[in-house]
Parts: sequence; C-alpha cells; structure tokens
Amino acid sequence: MNRRSLVSIGTLGLGIAVVLSVSIAAQTPASAAKAAPAAKAAPAAKAYTPPRTPDGQPDLQGFWTNSTYVPLERAQGVTKEFYTPEEAQAAIKAAADREAEQTEPGTTADVHYDFSQFGLDRSQSKFTSSLRTSLIVDPPDGKIPPVNAEGQKRASERAAARKAAGGPYDSVQNMPIGSRCIIMGGSGPPMMNAGYNANYQIVQAPGYVMILTEMIHDARIIPIDNRTQASQGVRQWTGLSRGRWEGNTLVVETTNFNGKNPFRGASESLKVTERFTRVADDAIDYKFTVEDPMTWDKAWTAEAPLAKTEGPIFEFACHETNYGISNILAGARAEEKTKAEQAKKGSN
Amino acid sequence: MRAKLVVVIACAAVLLAVGQVRAHHAFAAEFDVNKPLTLKGSLIKWEMVNPHSWFHVAVKEPDGKVTEWLIEGGSPNQLIRMGVTKNTVPIGTELTIEGYRAKDGGLKAVGRNFVLPDGSRLFLGGSAPGGTPAETK
Repeated sequence: MNRRSLVSIGTLGLGIAVVLSVSIAAQTPASAAKAAPAAKAAPAAKAYTPPRTPDGQPDLQGFWTNSTYVPLERAQGVTKEFYTPEEAQAAIKAAADREAEQTEPGTTADVHYDFSQFGLDRSQSKFTSSLRTSLIVDPPDGKIPPVNAEGQKRASERAAARKAAGGPYDSVQNMPIGSRCIIMGGSGPPMMNAGYNANYQIVQAPGYVMILTEMIHDARIIPIDNRTQASQGVRQWTGLSRGRWEGNTLVVETTNFNGKNPFRGASESLKVTERFTRVADDAIDYKFTVEDPMTWDKAWTAEAPLAKTEGPIFEFACHETNYGISNILAGARAEEKTKAEQAKKGSN
Repeated sequence: MRAKLVVVIACAAVLLAVGQVRAHHAFAAEFDVNKPLTLKGSLIKWEMVNPHSWFHVAVKEPDGKVTEWLIEGGSPNQLIRMGVTKNTVPIGTELTIEGYRAKDGGLKAVGRNFVLPDGSRLFLGGSAPGGTPAETK
C-alpha cells in the first residue's frame, strides 16, 4: 500500500479508528472534528441578542476559529456566488482529499512531515463552512481587484531589493517573516485562516478588546475609548487598531502598518476595517474591507466567519524553538561547500 | 531489540511539486529530497515544542553502536487539543521513521511518517475527519 493510500485512509476514513499500541485513540472525541456551524443567515442574525459583558459591551469573548475550506478568491471556472448544499459538500470533500494527499513521494513537496498524523488537516478540527464560493464578497467576481500601476511598480522594487540582498538562505534576514517566527498570516488584520492552529481568543475589558492569535501568539490590543489614531510615525507589524461599537457590531479600523509584511502586496497606507457581529452563541460574523489606493483602485471586502471552538490557546513560543532556521542555514552552507569542492575538482 | 539503522540514499528524480504544502518554512531547504531514509529505533526524548516537534530517537547500527537522531515533526498544539501528551508516547516507544535527511549531513531528518511496531501510524488513531457543514447561508 503506498503512502498516498495510507494518508487517504487515515484522513478520510470517516471515523475508522486505527488502533495504536499506544493508547491515544480513546482520548479524542469523535465530535471534535465536526464542522462548526456557519454564521447564521440574515433572519436569524436579526433575532439574536448577544450577551453583554459586565460593563455593557456586546460579549464577543471566548475561543474562536476561522478555519475553512472556502477560498479567499473564487476558483477559476466557478462563476456563481453560492454553491448548492450538495456542491458545497463536494467542494469541501475535494479540498480535504487534496489536503490529505498532500504531496507526491520523492518530490520536494514530499520533504515534510505528514500533516494528517499531527492532526493538522483542516478536516481534523472544527472548521467553518458556508455556501459561498469565495470569502471575497465584493467585487462580485470574488477576486482581489487588479494591482494598479503604483502597486506593480512597488512590487518590482521590492523584488529587486530582495534580489540585491542575495539568495533566500544567505542570511536570516533574507528568509520569510513567518519562517522567522515574527508574524504569521492568522494575526492580521485582516485575520486570515492560517491553515492549521487557526484559533483565537477574544477578551474584553472596559475600554479595550484583546484578540490573541494562537499562531504565533500575537496579542492585538484594541482601544475602544474613542482615542485618536497615533501619529503616522508610529508603525507596527499588525498596525495600530482603533475600535468602536456600532450597535452590536464592533468596528475596528487599522492603519500604521510598518510595511515589512505587506498584506497581499499592499503599501504602508493600507487601511483595514473589520466588523465583528455575534450572530449566535457559537458564531461571529467577521467581515473586513481592505483599502489601499497605492495598490488597488477599488476597496475589496470579504466575509470569514468565526466559529466557537474549545480553549485554551496553547502557548506557541515559536521563536524559542525554531531550530528550522539554523538547520536551513547550515544546509545552505553545506551545499555551497560541496559545490565549491566540486568546482575545485573540476578545475584541477 | 532488533533496531537497526537503514539509511537508503537514493537518487530520486526531482519532479515538480504537486499539491500545496501548508508549511511553516521551506522544508526542502532544510532536508534533502535525494536522501530519503528509514530509521528504526526507540524514543528517548520528545520535544513537544513549536513551531515543530522534535523526536530524539536512539538508533542501533548493525555494529551495535547506538546513535541519536533528531527527527522533525509537526506542531504539537492540535495534538494537545486532541488529548495527546508526552505521556501518550512513552520513552522507549519503538518507532520506524520514513523521512529525508538534513542537508547539512547531521544526524537529523524530517519524519515523513512515524510508524509503530504494529504497523499503525503514530497519532492517527485520534483523528476523526470528515465534518459536515452544519448550517450554510
């Protein structure tokens, strides 16, 4: 039986437990992998009254996930905004199958641990679902608008700067931000599905909302006390967020990004507006709008619902044990040495 | 214990990557696709840390010499959430590990598969995939 077959059986066996000689099977409730309820449809949202915190805010607190198989952008060939329930199920299954297969043995993509064994496939945890064919709801075609001339110019300049800095493994600084454990995509804003460990904790206190991202343990502290935005000189990896309540919806505007981890190629003038509305005990409607005239001529908006999940959020401590960086750099140096020796032999 | 070191160095054709790997870093930069290996040994330590687990395995070579290999695995967070702890995989557990050796030539590898003596794969008994959308809009 080949590796792919094993993976497929392991991941899509739909509850067929493999008995291990170490006793872990009984420790995982089968219900842990059920798809989470999606955000309620509009009529239900109107009927729902969210609980309140002791200081009177609509209560968003708890543990949430935005894991989903719905892609940010609509897939090629898909022309409608919503699937039928049957089509949505088929799309999830197809995506889960692709995820379980993961790689072809003997290819560079196979040089990896098996996600399914570590419970990191989305289908192995709670995930949100909807009939939408893309998270992007505006533009109506479900695609990020084309990058404008200014954005293309900046992209070229950034590419040239990377090239001038040398090879990708010449130094730590040349490696991707996520590999360096500085920040990963889930933190946002906007908060994007990280693929695995896509969990958040929201905590509210008078005047503040805090969003903790599991991977890699970023805490975004959002003042909701009507303070003005900091000066343009103050810039952070996750920008500076300011929040306010519009009825039961928490609206958070974020600017002042440092530009070192540009979201989808955006400039430092990026502005992200998020809207959190609790629409059920176990669901938050999460919408975000991205504006950056230096990159896109039009703003674009996506809906990425949050589903209630179980806590706690486990500490990630990514940087402290990121042995991969030193191994990669050592590997690159070893390759260089081998090539130099081969070149020397060739010249002799 | 019949643990022995089986290191298979094969020249595998490097094909275009198929499928999307959701990776923390570029594993092909850390490990060598041309050095697939199979290791058999007993667990002596499990660093249940992020961004990746590291399994320390004592591997007995044919001449009786025991070497310690470090094997990279996945983030432990989801395992913890499923109830897996260090006690779940006790020290001394026999493992067969298929993977790829580190590019720097050290006694390190990525564990593509972790297999227990009965042939089952480590941790997979805890998975129960296949969720159904509970509600859609």
